Amino acid sequence: MIEELREKLDKDEVTSEELFNEALKKAHQYQEEYNSFVTIMDQYKIKKRADSILTGIPYALKDNFSTSGILTTASSNILKDYVPVYDATVYKKLKQSGAVLVGKTVLDELAMGGTGTTAATGIVRNPWDKERLIGGSSAGSAAAVALGIVPFAIGSDTGDSIRKPASYGGVVGYKPTYGRISRYGLFAFASSLDHVGVFTRSVRDAAIVTDIIKGQDSHDMTSLKDDNKTYLKEVDNDIKGRKLFYIKEICNLDNYKDSNDKELIETLTRFNELLDKCRDQGFIIEEVSIDKQLLEAIYPTYMTISCAEATSNNANLTGIQFGPRGQGNSIDEIIFDARTKGFSELIKRRFILGSYILQKENQEKLYLNACRIRRLIVDKITELFKEYDGMILPASGSGAPKFDDSSEKLSDRYLILENHMAIGNFGGFPSITIPYCFVNNMPVGVNITGRIMEDDVVLNIANKIEELTGLKGIKAGDMHV
Amino acid sequence: MIAKEKLKDYAHKLMFDMDDEEYQTLQEEFEIILKQMDVISKIPNISEVNPMTFPFRVDEERFLREDEIGDYLTVGEVLANSKHQVNDQVKVPKVVEE
Repeated sequence: MIEELREKLDKDEVTSEELFNEALKKAHQYQEEYNSFVTIMDQYKIKKRADSILTGIPYALKDNFSTSGILTTASSNILKDYVPVYDATVYKKLKQSGAVLVGKTVLDELAMGGTGTTAATGIVRNPWDKERLIGGSSAGSAAAVALGIVPFAIGSDTGDSIRKPASYGGVVGYKPTYGRISRYGLFAFASSLDHVGVFTRSVRDAAIVTDIIKGQDSHDMTSLKDDNKTYLKEVDNDIKGRKLFYIKEICNLDNYKDSNDKELIETLTRFNELLDKCRDQGFIIEEVSIDKQLLEAIYPTYMTISCAEATSNNANLTGIQFGPRGQGNSIDEIIFDARTKGFSELIKRRFILGSYILQKENQEKLYLNACRIRRLIVDKITELFKEYDGMILPASGSGAPKFDDSSEKLSDRYLILENHMAIGNFGGFPSITIPYCFVNNMPVGVNITGRIMEDDVVLNIANKIEELTGLKGIKAGDMHV
Repeated sequence: MIAKEKLKDYAHKLMFDMDDEEYQTLQEEFEIILKQMDVISKIPNISEVNPMTFPFRVDEERFLREDEIGDYLTVGEVLANSKHQVNDQVKVPKVVEE
């Protein structure tokens, strides 16, 4: 973990270049089996005279962040040869801090997907079991941390794209308050939902990295004024009396009494055990009930808003200014050809859905109603946050699914239990997933979401819960040594 | 079931196409999606709610300031990823006919 590496570097027990070379060796060693990376760096590069807690520490960056002079594909063929000419703010800040980039990680094409199986360069496999997916869209970043290639990686999160793969990969995944970290240089998917965040193997590390990359940015008008807090200093605060709630409609075993799904039952049973341990430590945890109809609307609301925004955000992918040029006798024809060849089927299906939603006859019924439901959901959670410091829920109903998973997409379990984390994107709430148990030898995460601007509180709560799980610092890479 | 022609029209409006088999898959997928979407319209009194398009209120005015010269890209950088260029411009097929 980062502080241990920092100590070794400071005591000259290891050099930064040695850490980089070790990360590089592992990156290559695991690449064929797990496919975490689009690009693995071939040269050690570090900013001279950098002096921060991250100086000399290797890391990985999702391949939808602009990196000047380094191929950035967003895992899509339409950007397969794109080499940016400017740096994303996150990358710039990490460079200035002296962190060392090891590689650019694989994502679901254009960050639109939750499986890690739709990248132009192939599927990402789960480090805990190769027959299972790692989840997405920040699949490669999650896998690179789970494998122990790097101590931290950067991801982006529009619906749960950091927090779900963190659950499936047995790592920590954190997205702060909307705007806390600049989105400049992150390829936009759905701008009103997009967040930058981190993967680490401990909550402390998540605080360390966020402390470095947060802050207002004149290039991103939605970035927030810095709160001038050092989250690392707050993670050990006393939590006695902190109040959390969980949602009955998601967590109560009675909801699933007709289910024969043993993994689901075990996941929820272990979740309840965790709540008891939290209570013993001084947390107050209560059950609240939320209208089921509203909860069932989370996923369609997410799909509606995100696909509509994506349709417009990706209109710049024409193959004219960048990307492979299409064939044709007019501008329209060459754009048509470039987009037909450049997007995969799944992306096209999402875009068509976005197009459908934005048709004049559907705008009121679908798009605007989804925006209205977004408000109802956010208002409901904000109201609960008047009384409670945070919401605690299982990040998924089991460990990572197998690749051939064909779960029922209209079931309550799918619509609510597997998709509730989009609440964090709707309202911009800080939200973190940490591993809390193993079910059928696969890790499962618990998700904690808090009030906007209270990133320090969420990290503090998560840090205390992490102590109770006994799973701090786990990595699948240990199994492969 | 939604007509394939409609789906084709939506795709063409976004300037791409798919093959027949892919439209078939999409047509089937749309059945499920439309059922999921039904939930959106079923929430009572939804039309009275003010649509939310941003996570929370942000005071954007703080970014208003006098113009200042910042970093900018050179012509070479702007054109670096373009495959066809002439006279420092991106070359595309002729738009105006002779």
